Amino acid sequence: MKKALVIVPFALDDAGVANRKAQTKAVKLGPDIEFDFRPVTAGPTSFMSAHDWALMEMAIWEAGMTAQDEGYDAVVIDTMSDSGMAPLRSMLDIPVVSPGRASMLFALMLGNRFGILAQWDKALTRYKKATAEYGLADQCAAVDHFDEPPDFANLLGGKEDKVFPKMKAACERMMDKGAEVICLGSTTMHQAAQFLAKELPIPVINPGPLTYKLVETMLGLDLSHSKAAFPAPLVPKPEMVHAMLQAAKATEKK
Amino acid sequence: MRKILVLVPFPMTDEELANRQAQSKAVDLAPDIELHYRPVKAAPRTYTSQQDYVLADVVLLEAGRSAQEDGFDAVCIDTVSDSGVAALRSVLDIPVIGPGRTMYATAITLGEKFSMLAMWKDWFGLYTKVHKDMGLSHKCASMRAIDVTPDNRNLLGGKEEKIFPLLRDAAMKCIEEDGADVICLGSTTMHQSAEFLAKNLPVPVINPGPLSYKMAELAMTMRLSQSRTAYPRPKVDKRGMLHAMVDAAAVEQAGKPVEKLD
Repeated sequence: MKKALVIVPFALDDAGVANRKAQTKAVKLGPDIEFDFRPVTAGPTSFMSAHDWALMEMAIWEAGMTAQDEGYDAVVIDTMSDSGMAPLRSMLDIPVVSPGRASMLFALMLGNRFGILAQWDKALTRYKKATAEYGLADQCAAVDHFDEPPDFANLLGGKEDKVFPKMKAACERMMDKGAEVICLGSTTMHQAAQFLAKELPIPVINPGPLTYKLVETMLGLDLSHSKAAFPAPLVPKPEMVHAMLQAAKATEKK
Repeated sequence: MRKILVLVPFPMTDEELANRQAQSKAVDLAPDIELHYRPVKAAPRTYTSQQDYVLADVVLLEAGRSAQEDGFDAVCIDTVSDSGVAALRSVLDIPVIGPGRTMYATAITLGEKFSMLAMWKDWFGLYTKVHKDMGLSHKCASMRAIDVTPDNRNLLGGKEEKIFPLLRDAAMKCIEEDGADVICLGSTTMHQSAEFLAKNLPVPVINPGPLSYKMAELAMTMRLSQSRTAYPRPKVDKRGMLHAMVDAAAVEQAGKPVEKLD
């Protein structure tokens, strides 16, 4: 049995984690792979500012740092921001798969230009940064949003009637600007994926399930990230990082 | 008096800090400007891996977080990695100047293409990170290193005769073979070589630390600061968490010697 660890980017309770875990139902996976979901120890509350991104990198990195020693065969990061992917790849040999980079590159297998559906205007900066960092700004036809503040625990639950049509309208605006594939801008939008896929004439990439399937692919082909791109640290500091996140958790209890 | 806080990316002794402070001699600043150097409380050993970049962002954010209420008028970061700059810009209104971003923008006002001159190849990743962030990868003619392990505490002191000619020769290759119009020093820790290189090379050499001080002065004088749409404020500022994390890192590291790299 192969085991993958999915890092959930917020310190959610069991119900919140269950909403995240529901993503696995959207994709048919091989019988010999299982996914464990683990929330971070502590982290930012919002996710819209460089302050938040810095804390999120630390949080996800720490949650996944011991995955290889624990016997996992792969790590999946459950956020389109790809937070923590780079430091985890620098320290682990097992594949670390993250949906942001993966969904943009997968979109380019299905069309020439993609659009990214963001939750609200405050998320736009992050996608601009990601497309520039990956050198994919020219391939990104548009980033648009449906003006709904994110709810990281309940996701879109209970708001389907109000929110789904706004999501569709935003996708159609991106199609007008040349988008040939839609990337859902967050794994928290997975509940809308099926609706949008039915309603839109172009492919819709549901990033969480895509990563689960990519994990299977990487493990099946015996591939992992390049150590030339993600060099191991000369002096690893795992104890320091654990101490930092334990201290962070303590401040949340006060 | 206008006060600039210079954040130093490694914990260090006063003697080591003096090597960093010596950068200020390379630039004339307005007489009412004061530079204050503050080292971080804990740090990665080097900046050569994504592990290090993430730690660097957090410890520099923490070190500069109080700058505004401490009475500073601007913040400079003493590393061309620009670690912590984006996060500090999101929480501070005073100008936060990263020498990397500033150096590359300045280089292409002086020429079409620039080259990076480094001590070792392990630094290349932190250059390409900022180049990509800025969308300037195509402006970088080349990156060359002299394959000498850097000393981020004692810098180049005592090694001038060996290192300076190697740097000059590598820079000449950047100019003659790669097409560089401007040479960017790949670290603020190379500042001791700047004067020698400027005298011995036919193109401009940018010494990033002093440039950042001058740009901080300019930003203060022009009453300019970072754009809030590019660096939005966090909805929830986790300041207490941040300080607790870095204090815990410092406790974990306390009493441990600086690890040897060779």
